[in-house]
Amino acid sequence: MTVASLGLPRMHKEAGERRDFLPDLVAGVADLGGSVVVERGIGRRIGYTDDDYLRAGPNVVVGSNEDAFEQDVVLVLRAPEERLCLMRPGATLVSMLHFPTRPQRVARLCELGLDAVSLDTLTDDIGHRLVVDGRDVAWNGLEAAFDVLEREWRYFLDPTRPPVRVTVLGAGAIGKDAVEAATKYGNLERAERLAGFPGVEVTTIGRNLTARDGYMKGRFAVTDVLVDATQRHDPSAPVVPNAWLAYLPEHAVVCDLVVDPYLLHEFPPTVRGIEGIPQGNLDRWTFAPDDPAWNTVPEEVDRSHRRWVVSCYSWPGVHPHACMELYGRQLAPLLRELVRVGGAEQLTRCGEFHERALWRASLRAWVGQHAALV
Amino acid sequence: MVPSIGGSTSGRTPVLGLPRMHMEAGDRRDFLPGLIAAADRAGAREIVLEHGYGSGMSVDPGDYLAASPKVRFAVLEEVLASDVVTVIRCPDEPALRSMRPGATLVTMLHYATRPERTRSIADLGLRAISLDGVVDDLGRRLVEYLEAVGWNGVRLAFIEIARLHPRFAHPSRRPLRVTCLGAGAVAAHAVRAATRYGDPELRAELAANEVPGVEVTVADFDLTGHEDYLLRRLEVSDLLIDATQRADTTAPVVPNPLLAALPPDAVILDLSVDPYDFSVDPPRTKGIEGVPHGDLDRYIFPIDHPAWDELDRCVDTRQRRLALSCYAWPGIDPLDCMRVYGRQVESVLSVVLRRPAEDLDVESDDVIERAVARAEIGRWLS
Repeated sequence: MTVASLGLPRMHKEAGERRDFLPDLVAGVADLGGSVVVERGIGRRIGYTDDDYLRAGPNVVVGSNEDAFEQDVVLVLRAPEERLCLMRPGATLVSMLHFPTRPQRVARLCELGLDAVSLDTLTDDIGHRLVVDGRDVAWNGLEAAFDVLEREWRYFLDPTRPPVRVTVLGAGAIGKDAVEAATKYGNLERAERLAGFPGVEVTTIGRNLTARDGYMKGRFAVTDVLVDATQRHDPSAPVVPNAWLAYLPEHAVVCDLVVDPYLLHEFPPTVRGIEGIPQGNLDRWTFAPDDPAWNTVPEEVDRSHRRWVVSCYSWPGVHPHACMELYGRQLAPLLRELVRVGGAEQLTRCGEFHERALWRASLRAWVGQHAALV
Repeated sequence: MVPSIGGSTSGRTPVLGLPRMHMEAGDRRDFLPGLIAAADRAGAREIVLEHGYGSGMSVDPGDYLAASPKVRFAVLEEVLASDVVTVIRCPDEPALRSMRPGATLVTMLHYATRPERTRSIADLGLRAISLDGVVDDLGRRLVEYLEAVGWNGVRLAFIEIARLHPRFAHPSRRPLRVTCLGAGAVAAHAVRAATRYGDPELRAELAANEVPGVEVTVADFDLTGHEDYLLRRLEVSDLLIDATQRADTTAPVVPNPLLAALPPDAVILDLSVDPYDFSVDPPRTKGIEGVPHGDLDRYIFPIDHPAWDELDRCVDTRQRRLALSCYAWPGIDPLDCMRVYGRQVESVLSVVLRRPAEDLDVESDDVIERAVARAEIGRWLS
């Protein structure tokens, strides 16, 4: 069995995207014997130097972006769409690849003769995701929402105020974390600081109530923070028509945890769960009602009613170090196994725990099960 | 210290014993044949099942025999004499005394809240792995079914609500209102379950008939400590759920007199299932004072159920609503429960059958061995 070489390129996305895998993860695989190539400048935006990575093992080298992409196994958090052509046929890409919703990406990987392991599909034997930062989606989003509320609502720091009222739309995985985060103001230090204040009342509603116009308007009237954590069956229709936002108090904050895009010209079209709100990213995620970003919303979409909005395409990246520390710890044993066996091509479905998980998340397993779609 | 006779370094592969649970008749759970096959693959020399194993769930003995040629059925004493003994709920004191010094017990031991039992197991010379203490590098339990705690309890609560509310399925009724005390892991499942009446099919049926759904409000400790707020909340609650994790179990979250604020046909659901304990001073009480403590034999308590009056007189039970409480909520659906536990315990056994408990290494390259090593009794006691 050949130990695979590993490449860690940086992500060249928006300027606010500061995440890179940490030296600890590199150290966790460097002792296997294969070379590890990290892109020059990796980790710089979260306080690391090339030397920090070089110290992770004698077989770690610093190279160019191209060098990193030319290894047997390439690890990069967000899918490197434009860089796939740099990879060698037969190499393995490990990334958030979202096979089910990105058929064009799957086809492209196949066309290039690449193998892949999708981080978002890595699960244990009973379907629990092994590499996931869902908790930080909710906590970082709610933290941002309460930052705005604390700043903009004059009664927030009045100990005689009523409990803050949060309405969470959706009771799925993100909704569950959102409830807990909301009860703690999205931030444990703030919760400690506000100990003794009336706390936060969080109300969750599912789709058997969100479709009721009368109920929803009444609900909005008593909502200080509105959280979209829905998983829609039909993404072509919003859960909250823009007109309903008028029923929210003026100081209310809309917290968008779902961050679906506007794709009006695709079939079927996709609109945002809360109609009219702008979409944020790691460069900007807070939008005042008069922010110019509202004008970037497609003209066909009603955006006349506005409140403060927090929205970020990649909420975990708001706190990049914590995010990558978590991903690194989750990924270390899996990456070690993948490098040890020599890449995705060597995986079998009957191996040990981590090998089974890697197999299930591999492109070949996906293609095998969904051949008709590829 | 007595050397362990589990694992393989003792020169022979271990015998695995699986006793039945004898706490209450309603606990019908036993591991399924899938775990037996896994134990065989993991290297058990012999697998000894107590006579009647699986009968509570109508699993045919032949299914166990078919899962492995190493299986045989025996009396309880013989099962307990095995090298490794695995069962979900901890056996009672006499059963523990029947085990051989050096044998390994794999079960839910709750070291933190059962210090006397933990000490006793160590004094008997037993090795032990506490299933509730098997946690991965991120601190997540690898053997748990909190989802079933939330869903089973909520499903049964809504069956009672439907019985008490004549207009439950009528399109003109208002949305039902649930108040969940606590915002931790159990509450998370309870909230999700409650938005679906604890039953996705019932939810679909009611939604198809345009019946308004369920509004679930979570109140954590910084709100439940405000009596005015709590009273206002109770007044509008159709279902009150206790999913709290209290640091101090001597003080209830909802003192019994406050239950008077609940509508007469409201239902109380106890998911925390903290026990009453009058052997300590001050005594420990449930989060919602006065609610009877249920188990798999009886878990639904109408207001005239004798269990309310059987509680110690120190407990105020004057204010009553129909209540549900069960010490082992996942056991309500034993097959489902054991399917899940079986898959989770499989990983634990794959380690325990391979290495003696005292040799398990928290720095091992094997993530599962690290997790199991953290749950070893010696580590806890040291």
